[in-house]
Amino acid sequence: MAIAPERARIYEGSRIPRPIPSVLLVPPELQETGDVLQVNFGPNHPSTHGVLRLIVDLNGEDVVGLAAVVGYLHTGFEKNMEQKTWWKAITYPERIDYVSFQNNELVFVLAIERLLGLETPPKATWMRTLLCELNRIHSHLVWLGTSALELGAISLFWYAFRERDLILDLFEMVCGTRMHTRYFQAGGLAEDIPRGFFPECRKFTDWMPKAIDEYETLLTNQKIWLERTEGIGLLSADDAIALGQSGPVLRASGVDWDLRKAAPYLAYGEVDFDVPVYFNGDVYDRYRVHMDEMRQSVRIVEQCLEGMPPGPWIADDRKVVLPPREELHTSMESLIHHFKIVTEGYRVPEGEIYVCVESPRGELGCYVVSDGGPKPWRVKFRAPSYVALEATATCMTDALIADMIAIVGSLDSVMGEVDR
Amino acid sequence: MAVKRLADYGLQSERVMWVGKGPGVFEREVGAEELEDRLGLTTLEKAVLWAQSRSMWPDTFGLACCAIEMMSIVSSRYDIARFGMEAFRSSPRQADLLIVSGRVSHKMAAPLRQIYDQMLEPKWVIAMGACASSGGMFNNYAILQGVDKIVAVDIHVPGCPPRPEALMEGIIRLHEKVAAGVPPAYEIRGVAS
Amino acid sequence: MPGVVETVVAHGETTLVVDPARLVEACIYLRDELDFRFLSDISATDYLGWGKQTAGYIGTAGGRDINSPGSWGLQKKPEAKRKRFAMNYHVLKIGEGAERLRVQVWLDDGEPVPTVVPVWPTADWHEREAWDLMGIRAAGHPNLRRILLDDDWEGHPLRKDYPIGGEPVRFSGEE
Repeated sequence: MAIAPERARIYEGSRIPRPIPSVLLVPPELQETGDVLQVNFGPNHPSTHGVLRLIVDLNGEDVVGLAAVVGYLHTGFEKNMEQKTWWKAITYPERIDYVSFQNNELVFVLAIERLLGLETPPKATWMRTLLCELNRIHSHLVWLGTSALELGAISLFWYAFRERDLILDLFEMVCGTRMHTRYFQAGGLAEDIPRGFFPECRKFTDWMPKAIDEYETLLTNQKIWLERTEGIGLLSADDAIALGQSGPVLRASGVDWDLRKAAPYLAYGEVDFDVPVYFNGDVYDRYRVHMDEMRQSVRIVEQCLEGMPPGPWIADDRKVVLPPREELHTSMESLIHHFKIVTEGYRVPEGEIYVCVESPRGELGCYVVSDGGPKPWRVKFRAPSYVALEATATCMTDALIADMIAIVGSLDSVMGEVDR
Repeated sequence: MAVKRLADYGLQSERVMWVGKGPGVFEREVGAEELEDRLGLTTLEKAVLWAQSRSMWPDTFGLACCAIEMMSIVSSRYDIARFGMEAFRSSPRQADLLIVSGRVSHKMAAPLRQIYDQMLEPKWVIAMGACASSGGMFNNYAILQGVDKIVAVDIHVPGCPPRPEALMEGIIRLHEKVAAGVPPAYEIRGVAS
Repeated sequence: MPGVVETVVAHGETTLVVDPARLVEACIYLRDELDFRFLSDISATDYLGWGKQTAGYIGTAGGRDINSPGSWGLQKKPEAKRKRFAMNYHVLKIGEGAERLRVQVWLDDGEPVPTVVPVWPTADWHEREAWDLMGIRAAGHPNLRRILLDDDWEGHPLRKDYPIGGEPVRFSGEE
């Protein structure tokens, strides 16, 4: 993993607009004299990031004013989850960040387990790590395909999606469905890992580094790509922290911060991987961070395959976890537990907790309040893309309209997460 | 007079899951005589419809998770270029097909209707996924319970999200209907109440 | 630290309950003296009906009662909360050990909370969301408008007395 030579400061001072941090206002002198055109990049536009609306003020090709309007995909997840039992509510978080779905499930399930005080068996922990890393590669591939598509490197879309289909095949093998897998349960995994999975996954990890080499050959030193991404969308480390950025955006601005290393969860404390950090804070560095992260994820997946412990795939606590089906024929207590868990649902003790994981976009957090009953009282997701869009105005200082597409793409926002 | 089914007119893609299945909602809506009229086509009409169905360009209307699966039908494995549809037009004025992929919130309903109105006839709509068809798992204040409340839908594709093959099946059935002369949805049905 | 009314430690987390009038002072102290420069999240919670029934909205004539609790009482009655709303500020120190803190402020219906946008600019959209969905006004916020819902939406959906909405569905179990 290469690290670019360190720069002391990306720019002087802070570029966060005032008074509103997330809105770039047209300077008053331009408003009177200049020829400022307000254009609406409406919720439906070719840039495939979903339903983001940007109201942009243009002075020729320069962007002098920017405001983001979100909420076109607001789904009311949090209120819906309050109506469902804990088990049923696990289906909802996946659809929030629909590109890295298992990370969302993971954060909610970890919150339930912390409140319950439930220990998951090591096999479940390692498998969750493996699936989350595969999901990270999946998310970065979708990001790469769509961002390159927007900047004109159209053919990369097909390369990236070719590998993405390999990952979805692996998910389908284990979890039964390509996307929105709903495989994590409070206590472990829903079912045991099928037998053909490990050789297939190994084939994937053997092939993937070569595929990443292909993408890098196409983009990393390519003149047009460099022209369009180097020096664009600068964000200094202090501004990034003040704006709450995390994940690849923060690491491209020079801050060595990754929740998998700083506060290890699952099996991340036991696997060996590097965290790429670059120091120029521009779109090109965010691209480099994404590519290096894909390589590191492949390393983690390989280590998980080597080190996968045998054993049960879900905890043994019968108040929370369904008993194995064979027992239902012989044991009355198992039957009663099964009935109570399926109809009424397990109860999570009273309390509130904030759990966060390192999703491919940054710090994904889940704040859960339980009143001791079978349904959540309040669930709130801290979506990294929501916060990333706040930084758009800061990154857009002195930008052209063509750069706007590159910058919004590099912030890697998924609108499902933004609007919840 | 017994209402004929689309399969009786030679449409291949409708799967009959059980023997003795009666006419579906569509056939009952259109009625026996009208269907007969509409499906009795001249050669020129057949040629036009053949051309329409073989290069039906979709509009880029990806909203949520279903959009990711819609993108994967463009990818090389589930290649939709075989059907002449890889040209996703960003401008609704140039698009024939609106694949509503994803949950439609009330805030998004107005832009959706505006895009639909900007498309030129003939135009078709596929409601992809459970959320577009009926609101999906989100029966709440924020989500429109089915996009057929505001636009006339030709084909509903179930799934959450539907596999790329499922979406392709929906598209192929649409092509068959078009090539057979079945009119687009805005001519025969309005929007749901 | 200025303004702290109470400190609660539970599930490995520290919650500082702060007086709303001294919130900004406390936040500046956290950011400058204790180096909590990163604001992760601002979550608002509505505790209307806490302890009187199980979770889920209270229900109005127009809404659905999807899981009528019946015999689903609570095994242990939870302690009553001080006021109806809680605003939680989750802050993080970027450094060794990833220390986190929760700053909690209790509010009544209609009581505004001072804005922390001058302290952490990222609070901008979080406070707008709290206003939009929960109706908690951030006094002094430069741009307090609805963010996730339509501008002319009435009501604050995440409150417990706002119905879930949607349409009645056959066979969903409540009949």
